[in-house]
Amino acid sequence: MVVAALALTGCAQGTGDEGADVDFSADGSPSGERSVMGFGTGDEIGEVRYDRATQDLEGVDVRLAEGELDIQAFLSAVASGNPPDLVYANRDQIGTFASRDAILPLDECVDAEGVDLDAFVDTAVEQVTFDGSVYGIPEFNQVQVTMANADLLSAAGLTVDDVNGSDRDAVTAANEALMRTAGGTLSVIGFDSKLPEFLPLWAKAAGADLLSEDGRTAQLDAPEVVEALEWAVGIYDAQGGFPAVKTYRDSADFFGAGNQFATGVLGAMPMEQWYINVLNESSPDAPMAFDAVRTPGGDAIAFASGSAWAVPRGSENPAAACRFARLMTETDAWVQAAQARADARAQDGLVFTGVLTGNEEADEQIRADLVPDDAPQPWQDAIDAMYEANDATFALPANPADNEFETAWQDAVNRVLNGQQEPADALAQAQDEAQQALDDAWARWDEED
Amino acid sequence: MTTAPSFPRPAVSGAGAATDPAAGTPETLGPPPPARPAPSARGPRRRWLRAVVLAALVLATVAFVYPLLWLLSASFKPRAEVFDNRLVPRTFTLDNYVTVWQEAPLALWLGNTVVVTVLAAGLVTVSSALVAWGFAFFRFRGRGPLFGLVLATMMLPGAVTMIPTFLIWNQLGLVGTNVPLWAGNLFASAFYVFLLRQFFLGLPREPFEAARLDGANNWQMFWRIAVPLCRPALVLTFLFEAQASWTDLMRPLIYLQDSSTFTIPRGLKALIDQFGPGGESQWEVVVTASVITTLPMILLFFLGQRHFVEGVATTGSKG
Amino acid sequence: MTTPVAPALPTPATGGSREAPVRRRRARPSPSERRERNAALRFISPWIVGFVVFTAWPILYSAYLSLTDYDVINDPTFVGLDNYREMAQDPKVALSLWNTLVYTVVQVPLYTVVALALALLLNQAARSAGFFRTAFFIPKMTPPVAVGVLLLLLFNGQYGIVNEVLSWVGIQGPSWTTDQDWIKPGLVLISLWTVGSAVIILLAALRNVPNDLYDAARVDGAGFWRRTRAVTVPMISGALFFVVVINTIAGFQMFTEAYSAYFGAGNSTYRNDAALFCVIYLFQEGFQELHMGYASALAWLLFVVIMLVTVVQLVVSRRLVYYEGEQR
Repeated sequence: MVVAALALTGCAQGTGDEGADVDFSADGSPSGERSVMGFGTGDEIGEVRYDRATQDLEGVDVRLAEGELDIQAFLSAVASGNPPDLVYANRDQIGTFASRDAILPLDECVDAEGVDLDAFVDTAVEQVTFDGSVYGIPEFNQVQVTMANADLLSAAGLTVDDVNGSDRDAVTAANEALMRTAGGTLSVIGFDSKLPEFLPLWAKAAGADLLSEDGRTAQLDAPEVVEALEWAVGIYDAQGGFPAVKTYRDSADFFGAGNQFATGVLGAMPMEQWYINVLNESSPDAPMAFDAVRTPGGDAIAFASGSAWAVPRGSENPAAACRFARLMTETDAWVQAAQARADARAQDGLVFTGVLTGNEEADEQIRADLVPDDAPQPWQDAIDAMYEANDATFALPANPADNEFETAWQDAVNRVLNGQQEPADALAQAQDEAQQALDDAWARWDEED
Repeated sequence: MTTAPSFPRPAVSGAGAATDPAAGTPETLGPPPPARPAPSARGPRRRWLRAVVLAALVLATVAFVYPLLWLLSASFKPRAEVFDNRLVPRTFTLDNYVTVWQEAPLALWLGNTVVVTVLAAGLVTVSSALVAWGFAFFRFRGRGPLFGLVLATMMLPGAVTMIPTFLIWNQLGLVGTNVPLWAGNLFASAFYVFLLRQFFLGLPREPFEAARLDGANNWQMFWRIAVPLCRPALVLTFLFEAQASWTDLMRPLIYLQDSSTFTIPRGLKALIDQFGPGGESQWEVVVTASVITTLPMILLFFLGQRHFVEGVATTGSKG
Repeated sequence: MTTPVAPALPTPATGGSREAPVRRRRARPSPSERRERNAALRFISPWIVGFVVFTAWPILYSAYLSLTDYDVINDPTFVGLDNYREMAQDPKVALSLWNTLVYTVVQVPLYTVVALALALLLNQAARSAGFFRTAFFIPKMTPPVAVGVLLLLLFNGQYGIVNEVLSWVGIQGPSWTTDQDWIKPGLVLISLWTVGSAVIILLAALRNVPNDLYDAARVDGAGFWRRTRAVTVPMISGALFFVVVINTIAGFQMFTEAYSAYFGAGNSTYRNDAALFCVIYLFQEGFQELHMGYASALAWLLFVVIMLVTVVQLVVSRRLVYYEGEQR
């Protein structure tokens, strides 16, 4: 026993180097139990597509490990040689997974299943493409929309134009006009600049990219980025600092009828478009005002993110995994799911506020056939803002260190929010960390190919 | 190797010369000496002092017990009232228990945890008793240094061996199963070896001499005489390890990836990630799952209360 | 039927770790001695196997791993001392060491003092001591993950009950769970909630202090504080030292409460530098980034630090701790 254990661990080996030939063209019907990590069906949009996909995959028993993907659990599952058959990740994790050899290139999968990549949103496909190979099948597109409490705005003599980001000084002023404190503690958040997540949005609105187009050079210490961060942090500082705002935000009933807008404790914030749906469902009578997030020139802008299906190295049945991914993301699946949602909303007497699928074809059909163009206000504004934002998205360029890159700038923002560092210093440090990670990852990547 | 008990483990104090109550009273493994009568101050001053002491104790008790009552109470409140800090819920609801049961495979997680806990505690009790007996009963050259090595491993921070141990289980293909959570307990744990050896050392010698004359072998003397005589210590070991194993988070984090294999603390962590801060801020789900994770331990405590309290007291006096 | 050897059970007089001396004979073991040794080794063998496979080998192996770049998926590459060089420059290493040190330095004395105070109180309450002892111990049964949840809820800066209680006495409490400066104090305070086991240990020690020492002190006119300082603390210094050592080691390995509350999947926006302790960073590097080589180097660093601190404590204890029956 001892000897065996010692012999087994005698020299550390990689588990990922067994034959690289992966067969995506299934002969006959793929069968057996297939596991999926990181995906939960949740609402109609998930359920309908899931049911449809599992029906088509006869003989396959799909088992879901629900909840957001836990990177640690996923990577150690791959490392230990018993990965799930399919993984559902954020698109900005795909590069890191690919560069660690944790997931497989899907070019053959795309060919074998006839996935029409042209139908997808371009930025989404770009995010999961490296050196010409696709590593993930994208789904959903998240874009930001300005959401505001119309009552609070009008009481302060403001409009949504003051908080849509087009004029930073106006937002700063609006924040101070909208916020309230009671007995030393914050009782109304004026404006929530949604740090650290939305730094790329604020930077891009000022014309700065965090990462060069080829995905190799970090640009986190550019003056525009520093200014954007200083401004966004200033929003929190004016309200007693980020900890106070975050504490207040954490205790709110984000998904329920007691959400911050419905209870009048939040003036305005940019937020991903799916929250429109939450608001419409949980507090349809909240006094809302919507607009896109805008640049100083008045153009809409949004930082696109979303999910993607990827096949882990060591997947027992990549063909079935690939087919499942195709079935989940094809146009018909989305249209059926959207139909189900629209029906359900109609039954409840609510507005169907649309869905951004990451599939252009599906988006167009859904908008044309199912989304109203004369919905009662403010929801029509919300719908228009969402589609306007969706047409004006940008994404961080694909790179093999995307997860580390995100960690670097998010940590920097957190250090500023915590009061540990000044924006310029924090971003300079992040620049070094990010560039180091990028250099290492690209070096490994270039070496392998 | 084995779960670090969250109870204090004896230090390998350089002095190691503390008296040993068990050895001092070989016939009993019973409770510590009865409480010494309070200092004999007299009159009103004494009464006043006692009132102050009692008040302080009651205050401390509130501080210790209230958080658990708060948690229990919050689990019966609707989402909007979780933070209202009322001890008695304004709106009493069982919805949270229904929700959490639907959101997460709690029964499965509880079942997994019971399996791991029973295996871990059972195995460590048996193996540690064997080893402790080996050190207590026999005399052989090198025993002292070898036992010193046992004590030294107690000081070893678990973090040092965390990664190689993971790689061993990985090579054996057992990562992703619950085996790494209990199989290490086959090989005894230094802390329990130390504890049980103390109890074995306190046993009277007569029964063993008699048994030997009757022709009993080593195994029989261990199994038929030593084990029954030390049952309280074995129960203590089982309870300590059961608590340590049930509440462990780090190893389930390292070894379990699929939510169907989670133990309940690992599952609770997943629920915190999903419903806590940074997630969907549905605190009532997290609160309710916390109650479900904690309750079995409270029950275990009341079942083995005497063992727990006396066991902890003993560990300290044996440093 | 083997070993007709007298059991080595010590007489009641010799106890504890000071067991009967091993016969010091340098001659070759006699057949009966060999038989006894073999019988003993059979009983001890589970531990020996475990020691070799799960302690000795991992220690050596992690020393080797610390010299490599290894992500489990791909084969390891030997990189010499690169990991250690990287460690010296990694701000997170310095940060996590600092956090761990600050936490331990604050937590251990506070924890010990609170435990002692409660034990002294319990020692005064003759009849009801059992009830209070139980009450104090119950929190210790709470799984640390749930303790992390309680931390986030009770110490919430806006609605938490801790700040509510503080407001009764006119203090406006800080944002315990989000303010950089208050995160470690919050963790220290919640750790006091599980002080129960230390209270029980110290109480047991207090009850072993001979009464006549107090009587003598009282005759000398010593008040309560004097008696505590001059009699109680020295007499229970062994147990106090035990509590200190155990908590120091535990403090250096702080993981679960902080990880549950401030780290984890999908919690990236909640990452908090103030709660980045050594073992958390080690865990992240090892199992989230799969930097097994670098994490092994971190493990060695932690090992050395803990050993140094423990040795210092042992040396100090030789001077300060009084053990009953000790010759002075």
